[in-house]
Amino acid sequence: MSDLHWMTVEAAARAIAAKELSPVDLTKALLDRIEQLDPRLNAFIRVDGEAAMAAALAAETEAQAGRLRGPLHGVPVGIKDIINVAGLPTTCHSKVLQDNMATADAVCVEKLRGAGAIVLGKLSTHEFAIGGPSFDLPWPPARNPWNTDHHPGGSSSGSGSGVAAGLFPMALGTDTGGSVRNPASCCGIVGLKPTYGLVSRRGVFPLSFTLDHVGPMTRTVADNALMLQAIAGHDPLDPGSAAAAQGHYGAALDRGIRGLRVGFVRHFHEIDTPANPEVTAALEHVARSLQVEGAEVRDIKLPTLGEFGAVNRVILQSEAWSIHGPWLSERPGDYGKLGRQRLMAGAFMSAGDYMLASRRRLQMIAEVEAALREVDVLLCASSMDPACRIEDTAEVERTYPRQARTPFNVTGHPALAMMSGLSVGGMPVSVQFVGRYFDEATVFQVARAWERVAGTDKKHPPIV
Amino acid sequence: MDKEAIEVLARRSGLARALAEFPEDVIAAAKQAADVAQKIKRPADPTAEPWPPMKAGTTL
Repeated sequence: MSDLHWMTVEAAARAIAAKELSPVDLTKALLDRIEQLDPRLNAFIRVDGEAAMAAALAAETEAQAGRLRGPLHGVPVGIKDIINVAGLPTTCHSKVLQDNMATADAVCVEKLRGAGAIVLGKLSTHEFAIGGPSFDLPWPPARNPWNTDHHPGGSSSGSGSGVAAGLFPMALGTDTGGSVRNPASCCGIVGLKPTYGLVSRRGVFPLSFTLDHVGPMTRTVADNALMLQAIAGHDPLDPGSAAAAQGHYGAALDRGIRGLRVGFVRHFHEIDTPANPEVTAALEHVARSLQVEGAEVRDIKLPTLGEFGAVNRVILQSEAWSIHGPWLSERPGDYGKLGRQRLMAGAFMSAGDYMLASRRRLQMIAEVEAALREVDVLLCASSMDPACRIEDTAEVERTYPRQARTPFNVTGHPALAMMSGLSVGGMPVSVQFVGRYFDEATVFQVARAWERVAGTDKKHPPIV
Repeated sequence: MDKEAIEVLARRSGLARALAEFPEDVIAAAKQAADVAQKIKRPADPTAEPWPPMKAGTTL
């Protein structure tokens, strides 16, 4: 079988179940590709090749005997290094936690293993999932496989880079201010921030308690739904876990979108943070395509991006300070410059700031809920620009905040980012779909309709 | 926020070492925090509740 590295999760799992593909061959092919490409991509902090091959061998024996653990049996996965994997350090890409050995899997990892997935190793992130690409940390920053001179977005940077480059077909990321959807946008893959509380955060190093989400990152919409199915579910030991019944997330994937109502939040990219013209043109193309497919598209107005961003920052930096304050007091030199600056900002937020943001948050939730009573799903920008050169610090600083992802961390609605096209410079540009609480199935339905029209699942970076 | 105020707040927050070793980072952090809350609309209703609320009966 050729091109194993571009195989989808769905196809690989199906072939393994049918005994047409060996998990050992698949894992070996991916480990070889990692060895070949990762020195240029830095997607990994640690490859756990030996354990992955042992797990693949066990998966093969089980598959041959007709015993499948679950729908991901024998399929490799990468794990962002703020998520615990038993027996490996959870470094958070920081000197502060360089030797922080995890004794148990995070719940989301446990669920992936329960579904049969094989853990390949731990992936690069921005330090403690905040900031941007940094060169003063113990490991180098991940790079974008579409052009390794460019950044891959973050903070789940290794997850985005590795999925796009065919190092693994799926990865776990986390999203507090857009950290699943930013690398998905920059690397041209599919990244979902599920409804707040749908996926357990237990065993994931926190950044901001009320904004943190764990989310799936894949090359196709169907794979994303499959991965979400494996990791979603109530966790009575996660205080933020939702007591909602688990859905069937792929149920509506190929139902088409005739009659669905789509709200286009144009002011995000036209007025609040004017987007690069290529991003704007691609968003218009998505909207027109959805109309051609039978959806009704109308304009929707929400609070401004500036205000959503401010609410997100006050809450995020205040909550993060409560975690990092003691370390920043005692060992500030163990942080990189960017992480240190971002995390210390919480020391200068007042209780009044935090309460103001928390009260406004409730109103913002009500405003997005009102919009989602008028339409079934929202369409809006994700990143306002394609990814820039990683070493152009000023451009990284300018473009990173130019995004429309934070609103849905503030409100907790499910939000998916994916490719809307390619820029003339050959870098991915992106679109975002947002749904009602726990209605990931409709988000996937619309995303799949766009994927089918545009063939985004067939577009891979030219890296070899 | 002037430099003196930043230093007072930083020391009160336990950032004396950071102030000595990375003064420019402390100032950058304070500047990030300075104006952000001003971009948030104040609720017209002074009794508006925050989110998330305290919820009894949902204990672990």
